[in-house]
Amino acid sequence: MTIDVNAADMRRSYGAQITRRYAMIAIVFALLAFSFFLDVATGPGPYPLSTVFDVLTEPLSHGVRLKVIVWDYRLPVAITAVLVGALLAVAGAQMQTILNNPLAEPFTLGVSAAASFGASLAIVLGFSVIPAVGPLLVTINAFVFALATCGFILFATRLKGVGSETMILFGIAIFFTFSALLALMQYMASEDQIARIVFWMMGSLGRASWEKIALGALLLAVAVPFSLVRTWPMTALRMGEATAQSMGIDVARLRVEMLICISFLAATAVSFVGTVGFVGLVGPHIARLLVGEDQRYFIPLSALVGALVLSLTSLISKSITPGIIYPIGIITSLIGVPVFISIILSTRRERLS
Amino acid sequence: MTLNIKNLHAGYGAKEILCNVSIPEIKFGSFVGLIGPNASGKSTFFKTLAGLVQPSHGLITINSEDLTKLRRKDRARRIAYMPQAFGCNALLTVFESVLLALKQTTGWRVQSDNLDRVADTLASLGLTHLANRGIADLSGGQAQMVAVAQTIVRAPEVILLDEPTSALDLHHQLSILTSVRNELNRKKPVVMAALHDLNLAAKFCDRLVLLRDGLILADGQPDEILALSDIGETYRVETALERTTRGALYVDARLPA
Repeated sequence: MTIDVNAADMRRSYGAQITRRYAMIAIVFALLAFSFFLDVATGPGPYPLSTVFDVLTEPLSHGVRLKVIVWDYRLPVAITAVLVGALLAVAGAQMQTILNNPLAEPFTLGVSAAASFGASLAIVLGFSVIPAVGPLLVTINAFVFALATCGFILFATRLKGVGSETMILFGIAIFFTFSALLALMQYMASEDQIARIVFWMMGSLGRASWEKIALGALLLAVAVPFSLVRTWPMTALRMGEATAQSMGIDVARLRVEMLICISFLAATAVSFVGTVGFVGLVGPHIARLLVGEDQRYFIPLSALVGALVLSLTSLISKSITPGIIYPIGIITSLIGVPVFISIILSTRRERLS
Repeated sequence: MTLNIKNLHAGYGAKEILCNVSIPEIKFGSFVGLIGPNASGKSTFFKTLAGLVQPSHGLITINSEDLTKLRRKDRARRIAYMPQAFGCNALLTVFESVLLALKQTTGWRVQSDNLDRVADTLASLGLTHLANRGIADLSGGQAQMVAVAQTIVRAPEVILLDEPTSALDLHHQLSILTSVRNELNRKKPVVMAALHDLNLAAKFCDRLVLLRDGLILADGQPDEILALSDIGETYRVETALERTTRGALYVDARLPA
């Protein structure tokens, strides 16, 4: 009899836990919606919130000029912030699970540095990895280099004796390699080209366009179901590789499948906006603290928090000095580094205790 | 129902670890102890049964059904293997970690009876008070109990426990093996456990299998097996089997003079 009462208690508290998680997701979603709207409403032209809202619901309600400002400039930037934030955070969350390392994300593993080098090749030499891509030259080059780097990481994880700490060291090696190559490109570049490279490296939402948004959304629409199907095995992987295998999971195959998925997410995100560090770290870190690591809640919330972080960043970048948009990469790094250090210290404490 | 293991050969690459291992007629509802020194092939044997190591030769059957033909997932549902190492830093509760073990084979959606089963399993192992605790915060003994819970929650036909009592104090050693025995009495699976403590093995097992260098040296009732001179030779000690005043078997071992 006592067993039944206890069992009922356990079920109730698990149920309450799930309700709390949905509440968290709802709260973050509401914050994101609010931040997104503020982001659209903020800019050099001082239009009241109600006017912006009118234009959003009825594009031509306040004339063509306002339609162009809201629909062609502000909205793509605001949506790109949300989309790229989500892409980076999901990529980071899954890298962390797959590599069993809470510090893994596109920036720390050198994927962003590789993308920057790819972009600089296009900017300085006009060299294209894939011929005849026209105006998308820089983006495509960045994408190909980011993807190739993810491929290299995938290869490195399959080497014998490469543990989760070694992976971060690999990331540093990749980062330094591409930084050196990037410096070489800058040395060869003209003043105008250097300015473009530096601008790329600082990360900017100014390159937003509806085409890119469509592509990014399409990718998320494929990646989210793809990873949702694998939530139970991915959660089990957090118990350790041996335990996951003993539960009948083909861990090697799961790693490859997920890394391919992550590669596309990360490569797309960095090729759209340039170097935006630490969103892939901050998003999952906050999500983990809020809902734990059951991937059914962890992945969606990571996406939402990542989107919220980048949306707020976009808002901040416009608000510090009126009329000037600061590069978002600088802001995310300033937010991200303290989180990075706190994760290092907390994992160190775990090992010591 | 019986589990039969016949002429099993397995290893890593060219290196053969298991050499013609046969354990016939393992009855359901019995507790088989696997004994033998370190590196005698106990873990490889379990991994081969669980399908994590491919046998180069041999048969694993339940009644006459060949288990090596099963898909990985189906096999994991029927043969649950608890690996040696446990311990992780995941932000999951004990309840969640047992639920995820069950969900690997029961579809994506969490059904009401899934939750019942997790709750029942935790209650039967006396882990109710830990249900909402984070698995990263558990002591070694508690973590080991949770690993057992992850194994039996799947209601498998065969339970393989690789050194379930290693690194545990006496109380936890006894409570884990007692819980396993209770499970055995309730659902009648086959339980096989690798044990280093021969006295524990004598106390809990119905049958002992002595393994050395991937070969089976002896197989039989605990009182027969532990009386064999092979035991002393295998472990490189001198042994004498005695009975305590309370009737339990006791292996008195000392280093050879």
